[in-house]
Amino acid sequence: MSARHWTVTLLAALVALLTIAPLLWMLSVSFMAPGEAAQFPPPLLPADPSLANYRTLFSTFGIGRFLANSILVSTLATILALIFTIPAGYAFAKLRFTGRDATFRLLVAALVVPGQIGMLPLFLELKAMGLVNSYAGALVPWLAGIFGIFLVRQYCLSIPDEMLEAARIDGASEGQILRRIVLPILAPIIVTLALFVFLGSWNDFMWPLIILADQQLYTLPVALAAMSREHVQDNELMMAGAVVTTLPVLILFLALQRFYLTGLLTGSVKG
Amino acid sequence: MAGLSIENARKSFGETQVLRGVSIDVADGEFAVIVGPSGCGKSTLLRAVAGLEELTEGRIAIGGRDVTDLPPSARGIAMVFQSYALYPHLTVYENMAFALRIAQADKGAIDSAVRGAAAILNIEGLLERKPAALSGGQRQRVAIGRAIVRQPQIFLFDEPLSNLDADLRVRMRYEFAALHKTLGTTTLYVTHDQVEAMTLADRIIVLRDGRIEQIGTPRELYERPANIFVAQFLGTPRMNIIPAVLTTDGRARLDDGREINLPTMAAALAPGTRVSVGIRPEHLRIGAAPDALPFTISFVERLGGLATVHLQADGAGERIACQFRDDGSLSEGATIALQLPPDCLHLFDAGGGALPREAYK
Repeated sequence: MSARHWTVTLLAALVALLTIAPLLWMLSVSFMAPGEAAQFPPPLLPADPSLANYRTLFSTFGIGRFLANSILVSTLATILALIFTIPAGYAFAKLRFTGRDATFRLLVAALVVPGQIGMLPLFLELKAMGLVNSYAGALVPWLAGIFGIFLVRQYCLSIPDEMLEAARIDGASEGQILRRIVLPILAPIIVTLALFVFLGSWNDFMWPLIILADQQLYTLPVALAAMSREHVQDNELMMAGAVVTTLPVLILFLALQRFYLTGLLTGSVKG
Repeated sequence: MAGLSIENARKSFGETQVLRGVSIDVADGEFAVIVGPSGCGKSTLLRAVAGLEELTEGRIAIGGRDVTDLPPSARGIAMVFQSYALYPHLTVYENMAFALRIAQADKGAIDSAVRGAAAILNIEGLLERKPAALSGGQRQRVAIGRAIVRQPQIFLFDEPLSNLDADLRVRMRYEFAALHKTLGTTTLYVTHDQVEAMTLADRIIVLRDGRIEQIGTPRELYERPANIFVAQFLGTPRMNIIPAVLTTDGRARLDDGREINLPTMAAALAPGTRVSVGIRPEHLRIGAAPDALPFTISFVERLGGLATVHLQADGAGERIACQFRDDGSLSEGATIALQLPPDCLHLFDAGGGALPREAYK
């Protein structure tokens, strides 16, 4: 290997280490005894590793319920987002209807508006509809994300029209074309989009905090924040909570990484 | 099987008129080729027959049944696209079976239809492969197979050979001809390649700017082109066109003052009429004769057995091309005498329309 190759490898390793170090320390601290992480200099590894913090989280704070809430909300958000954004993105790319391009431009323009600006009007609307303090209200912002529609549309543009026309000549209805031709071709981008939405809704803190008043409905990030207000000194317990919050999505991300990368890269060059 | 009838087909995209009143009748079992330069409307016409484009005006009938307002799947057509348009996630078998599965045909019937078509096209060994694992020629066969399986009344081909390399194109051309002989299905085939048109067609339809320039057998179009456009579109290298004026003694005076003999003239052509004299490169003869004209060779394209020779008349004459058997004797800068056999000449009027042969033969 050349010196240049070594340098690049070392730099990459250094960046990877810097990125993963806080996560590793979070994991390490979650196994430490109360107060151990607050010592100076802070220890890298627990002196006497124990699962006590996790036991406290699940038994005393009932984090299992919030974990289940998060899984429910994120899964529903993902499924609903896919149900709405895929047909929308496909229609914007491949179906001819009046006002198609104008509507799409309007949607893309709305991407530049920060989500937080829409939160108050959205909250008032949902309040009028009686959806405040319900998962239905928590799921609304995920239903048809503009970014998702944009992503699907761009990918659909790479599907040749002739393929869809061939299916029409073969007698397939528009629904059959979407289900039997387009969806299988879109598989990589569907995985990518699903991952984005799942991660986004899993990590979302602000909207569930606003819309969910009942503690029993809290998702993990909201529950963890509420917990940290009461246990601000208890770093080890908080780190265990952070591990419970991070680990499921990390595993999901790593498991789907292969499809995710394919989704991001496919379509970038003419095949 | 059935014939195809297109009546006064017009199609506009906004202000742009793509088809300007096209009427064609294709007989049952006929292989008709629509040929024309890019943008002439040939693909639009084919897509209109398929039902993929709605006509602005006009009527399309297949087997005597008006299909103008029917969706593509109800027209009894099958289409093979330039890009093959195979479904990439399905195997060859599934690609070919797709239409029948959509129609919820019986499993046994689907299997025999797919295997039957695969046998005709010699692709039985490829049925379990995905399109990505096929060569261009194999993909083309699968696309044709997908069309055959549907047992259409009419095959529509949209430049199906243009993505293939030259060698494969020649082979597939032969296979198309053989396939048509086997199946006998009425075929409408679009191409911009005049060689494909000449070799495959029972009848050729030459289209330009959304209008039909001429319809006829390849031989008719080659021997009696209706105008300069058709004359030059069919035949490689294209027909030489030389401006001239008719003289009182029934000859034609070229712009550089030299005169050539014409076929026996009819009284209909008045002396002084401006005409264009056309002669195909392969009809020019080398050799001294009283009426031979001297030309200087400006460029020789050697094709192996044949050579295309580009010539410049001495003085300010026309550039013309001719084709000879290449014996190695032709070299740039040499002067040769060329005969323009009167029987091989075509005459066109000032507007480019062919003068009826009866008028000068």
